Amino acid sequence: MAYAMGVREGLGGNERPRCRRLAYCHRVVMNSVSPSAAQYLGGGMQDDGLAPRPERQRTPPWEPRGHFGHGAGPEASREAPGEPDEVDRLKAKLMSAWNNVKYGWSVKSKTSFNKTSPLILLGHSFVLNHEDEVERFRLAFVSRLWLTYRREFPQLEGSTLTTDCGWGCMLRSGQMLLAQGLLVHLLPPGWTWPDAQQLTDVDMERRRTDTSRDGQAEATHRRVASWFGDHPQAPFGVHQLVELGKSSGKKAGDWYGPSIVAHILRKAVGKTAELHSLAVYVAQDCTVYKEDVVQLCDLSLSEGSPESGPGWKSVILLVPVRLGGESLNPAYIDCVKNILRLECCIGIIGGKPKHSLFFVGFQDEQLLYLDPHYCQAVVDVTQDNFPLESFHCSSPRKMNFNRMDPSCTIGFYAKSQKDFESLCSAVNVALSSSREKYPIFTFVEGQRQDYGLESQSGPSPNSPAHILPPGRPSRSGKRSSVDEFVFL
Amino acid sequence: MPPLEKPQHTKPFKLRKSFATRKQEVAGIRSKFPTKIPVIIERYSREKYLPPLDKTKFLVPQELSMTQFVTVIRNRMSLMPSQAFYLLINNNGLASMSLTMAQVYKDHKDDDGFLYMTYASQEMFGNTRECVDAFKTSHVAD
Repeated sequence: MAYAMGVREGLGGNERPRCRRLAYCHRVVMNSVSPSAAQYLGGGMQDDGLAPRPERQRTPPWEPRGHFGHGAGPEASREAPGEPDEVDRLKAKLMSAWNNVKYGWSVKSKTSFNKTSPLILLGHSFVLNHEDEVERFRLAFVSRLWLTYRREFPQLEGSTLTTDCGWGCMLRSGQMLLAQGLLVHLLPPGWTWPDAQQLTDVDMERRRTDTSRDGQAEATHRRVASWFGDHPQAPFGVHQLVELGKSSGKKAGDWYGPSIVAHILRKAVGKTAELHSLAVYVAQDCTVYKEDVVQLCDLSLSEGSPESGPGWKSVILLVPVRLGGESLNPAYIDCVKNILRLECCIGIIGGKPKHSLFFVGFQDEQLLYLDPHYCQAVVDVTQDNFPLESFHCSSPRKMNFNRMDPSCTIGFYAKSQKDFESLCSAVNVALSSSREKYPIFTFVEGQRQDYGLESQSGPSPNSPAHILPPGRPSRSGKRSSVDEFVFL
Repeated sequence: MPPLEKPQHTKPFKLRKSFATRKQEVAGIRSKFPTKIPVIIERYSREKYLPPLDKTKFLVPQELSMTQFVTVIRNRMSLMPSQAFYLLINNNGLASMSLTMAQVYKDHKDDDGFLYMTYASQEMFGNTRECVDAFKTSHVAD
């Protein structure tokens, strides 16, 4: 089923007739018939959510793998007009409907991309008006780590659960955000997964040969993926994350929010012995205190620690926000776009209501995302050369900004102190683009102060004198006239 | 004006009192305390995680920063620092923490003279449906 990607959501108003799609499936190119919509072929689970098994059966022998039907090419050619493929198609439809019901996969038809307006993926811009550019985008997209529901993993402590299907999607999105930070942290700039082509490329014979492999990078990539393995020892696996969420009152089987997950990730990175040169800062009350970040990252300030000395830890900055009440305040959309345009942005965890997604980019009025709602069998990452395919996703998906849940956590990464400084100014520029009067969050020089009145040390010089301790009743003298007011 | 100890307000403040009453209240309090800001703080109607506040009407020093104000409210609710808490102005936009109450008041006060804020945490995500394992046979290639 060729991942055609037509014009499902009416991008550019080009509703391509279904039969048309078949005719163009054999190429990973934009469809010249629909001028405004680039055809993105070769992915898998689009349309029908994904219909793995039927796909697989149709995969020709030379296709390296059949992970839910990448390999649109060969398939596509089979779907050439006139070829009777209705049974498979029907099967695929049924399977995908089933998937949708069980795992929250949305039944979507194709993902279509406008080929004239830029497609943003984590700070990189692609204009899909050329085959090479489509390829470049696909490589970049497939190279992101994809963490999904898993089943049949070792039982989670304190529960009988051996799967996170149906509840762990926000943890998975959080894993993807952290994984993206780790890839940027540990791999060379612009790294792409060499095997990404196998997941996507139709024209593999050509590409396969000229792939130069960087053994070290591949080992790192594999190591990072293994940290997200579904067993209790993995530093960022579901087991560990659930454990760390317990102090926030969460347990296995609960639903998680983007803010809680941000704190869980912070604890997980702080705890692991695998990463010494990376810290995670979570903003509170939409404020990043720069001096607090310095405290966290400047190794010369960390006394008594073995890491103490000159140097700077890289930092992942997580900012939990709420961009509206019931629904996303549309005034923030431009700002979210500008944030996703930044190279220092490592993505946004949020979702549609009740349905967590990892947002990695956008095009026009639609967010680009990776969806964790796909239940895969557990992979034993302790084995050498464990298969990596299920940790990558070949089918980009989109949804309109207006469906975005206002609760989310925005992620950034800065390698060095200098990077952190430029991050602050770049993000500030992006934040000022909000049509809303005030920015989504702010950077503040200095350290967070505890304004709690129990500790008298806190208040700033101009702090008001009349803050009453919490819970104390209003001054009785005023009550007669303004009985309901609480005086602060 | 029910002086209940534990207000069971199901209706938002604006619906409980007429515009004229609210306006009059503001005029009265502002004349007595011209440097204080009358603020209505209400729980987001679908909030599930944050506790209700015992009071709705606050009179806040105008020089108080939003950060300080949020801290006071957080303390009243005994929230942990890592607990998500957001004040939305008019149930819509985030208030910038570096601003003073006077600035926010100037920009966002209602026609009745009150400044309206809603507090909310974050939504949780998960899928309500029981996850039945549909694909015992793995379709993941390996």
